[in-house]
Amino acid sequence: MKFIVSSTLLLRQLQAIGGVINSSNTLPILDNFLFVLDQDKLTISASDLETTMTAKVEIIKSEKPGSIAIPSKILLETLKTFADIPITFTIDTKSTFSIEIFAGEGKYKLTGHNAEEFPKTPTLESSSSLEIDCNIIADAINTTLFATGNDELRPVMSGVFCQLSSENFTFVATDAHKLVRYRRTDCKSEESASFILPKKPLTQLKNLLAHEDSKVKIEYNTTNAFFEFGNYNLICRLIDGKYPNYEAVIPAENPNKLTIERIPFLNSIKRVSIFSNQSTHQVRFKVNGKELTLSAEDLDFSNEAKERLTCQYEGEDMEIGFNSKFVLEMLNIISTDEVCLEMSAPNRAGLLLPVNNENKSEDMLMLVMPVMLNS
Amino acid sequence: MTIDAKQMEKQIIHMDLDTFFVSVERLHNQKLIGKPVVIGGTSDRSVVASCSYEARQFGIHSAMPMKMARNLCGDVIVIRGDMEEYSKYSKVVTEIIAEDAPLFEKASIDEHYIDVTGMDRFYGTLKWSQYLRKRIIRETGLPISMGLSVNKTVSKIATGEAKPNGELYITNENTQPFLFPLSISKIPMIGTKTYQILRSMGISTIRTLAQIPLEMMEKVMGKNGIIIWKKANGIDTTPVIPYSERQSISTETTFETDTIDIHHMKNLLISMVEDISFQLRKKGKLASCITVKIRYSNFDTHTMQRHIPYTSFDHILIKNTQELFERLYTRRMLIRLIGVKLSGLVGGTHQVNMFEDTPEMLNLYMAMDKMKKKYGSHAVERAVGMRERRE
Repeated sequence: MKFIVSSTLLLRQLQAIGGVINSSNTLPILDNFLFVLDQDKLTISASDLETTMTAKVEIIKSEKPGSIAIPSKILLETLKTFADIPITFTIDTKSTFSIEIFAGEGKYKLTGHNAEEFPKTPTLESSSSLEIDCNIIADAINTTLFATGNDELRPVMSGVFCQLSSENFTFVATDAHKLVRYRRTDCKSEESASFILPKKPLTQLKNLLAHEDSKVKIEYNTTNAFFEFGNYNLICRLIDGKYPNYEAVIPAENPNKLTIERIPFLNSIKRVSIFSNQSTHQVRFKVNGKELTLSAEDLDFSNEAKERLTCQYEGEDMEIGFNSKFVLEMLNIISTDEVCLEMSAPNRAGLLLPVNNENKSEDMLMLVMPVMLNS
Repeated sequence: MTIDAKQMEKQIIHMDLDTFFVSVERLHNQKLIGKPVVIGGTSDRSVVASCSYEARQFGIHSAMPMKMARNLCGDVIVIRGDMEEYSKYSKVVTEIIAEDAPLFEKASIDEHYIDVTGMDRFYGTLKWSQYLRKRIIRETGLPISMGLSVNKTVSKIATGEAKPNGELYITNENTQPFLFPLSISKIPMIGTKTYQILRSMGISTIRTLAQIPLEMMEKVMGKNGIIIWKKANGIDTTPVIPYSERQSISTETTFETDTIDIHHMKNLLISMVEDISFQLRKKGKLASCITVKIRYSNFDTHTMQRHIPYTSFDHILIKNTQELFERLYTRRMLIRLIGVKLSGLVGGTHQVNMFEDTPEMLNLYMAMDKMKKKYGSHAVERAVGMRERRE
């Protein structure tokens, strides 16, 4: 097996898929990239058994097809140091698995592993498929990913719930304290389906989709999902289990509606929360007529902050506490000039919604649960 | 060398409230003054937590079983004690010290160390400390003794010698003349066991102890031997560690008679957790670590802890406590004591969970806490715990 490739091109593709590799693996072969040379096409793969990513790399010249597993760390570190130069790989894929790399005046030798040891990429059987614009998927992931949970006892909530129907397409994420529902009406599927995608492949997709402007082909069955776009594809195992009935917790009617400019609101919360307890980040929201007062305190350090903002408000005066970190994350993701915070009672969910969203086919709902206030 | 030594020389004050619990009780009930009083559980199995000087004349001392105390003095007045009340007074004392002192450590409910090194450039340290002591006595009405010296150990011994209600100043030059004639039992850290070992070696005064070769002390008592020897020579470099808010809430129950009644213990745990989780909510705190402790009848003590997401809710804490207890109590042996501790505390209130917490339950907690705040922490509680408490 022999090929010549541009160092920057190879590095870029390796870095694009390298995020899949775990820092510590029980199976040593997973510390490697799989290189498969087929005529004049080179594909590289990385896997953690749950998720496998593959990228195509343009090569300058190739001889003798073959495949080999190359240790990822040493390869990445070497490639990072090169300027853009052609690199020649000469590999014995049969017995010694020795890899010789020629770059400029340098010659480097390392030992790879038999490509047969690398876990086989699963193939999707009895799958359904659809095509969606890259930027829609990217938006959906960006909007929901932060709200996923980390609780090992509830694995379903560590992923993003995807629902396809003939009317729309919905992404939902929640950790039981906050919830995001991102719905698009400009994107439909002939058949209804739902599955839970794990956090890790979504993080990988998020990074790559930002630079693509084509369509993503999505294939799925009951156990796996497959994404293909540009020079990449990704296959991941779905999270098995029943997603909680999230619709039941979204309040149908929250009569107290607070409308406020997003950026000043965000900046005020950011400032006030510096003075809150740094483990719980609790900030008190008090609405009195057209005035919103934000306050926070950290008794351990005698820190205290209070800030007043004007807002539009319809409903009864009320006081409610939130974890400011959640509200800030949400305000950072919403892009409209104004937002609306809909509330009902101090111990019930608040809804944060964009106001006058220019994208009419986008329906974004963010729900944040309050913290109990000490009266 | 002398300049260095001078710069190194510290000035540490040790303040100790005399018979603290008894003094607080005497503030509330003047009739107790001049009488033998002990604070502690009223049952035979409990121990003396504090005793008045009058009681000490009968040979009563703290940590003595109540039964023995009663035997020594038939007229002794036993008071159940109210830790909450004592904490309140202790806090007042700490606040007074905090107002004036540059650096202080709250070593226990009735003891404080204050580092006044370098203060003599502005005030006389002795004068300053005398003023502080008088202020505490004036504002709280509690007797307090004080020792001022070059390190924590000597100050503490000095306080011990100054009691009751006195003060003692030991300069660097006087450290050894002061320590040497005293009994070794005056050194903090020397308990009954160590005392017996040292006495069996023929050591009775600090002077003798200080002259024992260091190697020999190490051989007999290991690392602690070195520390004790240093203390005997008036050497102690441990710093005064600034006072900080306590970071755990705990409770323990010692049974009247050792028990293996699991059902009873589990129910008792419920009532104990209810108690401390209410304290938690009252203080506006959340806990992230829960520890269960059991002591078997042979005094073997075992603990087990678990980290949980921040919470202050009874039902979550109770569930975790019971699970921990079940895992911890595996030997079918009589149990003497059970305890629960909540730690990893942070300021804050419960974050509502959209799937687990119903508005009805949140309202219930708020209503219960309101009642408890108004009518006391036992105004409303779970029926299982209530019965156990009565039994």
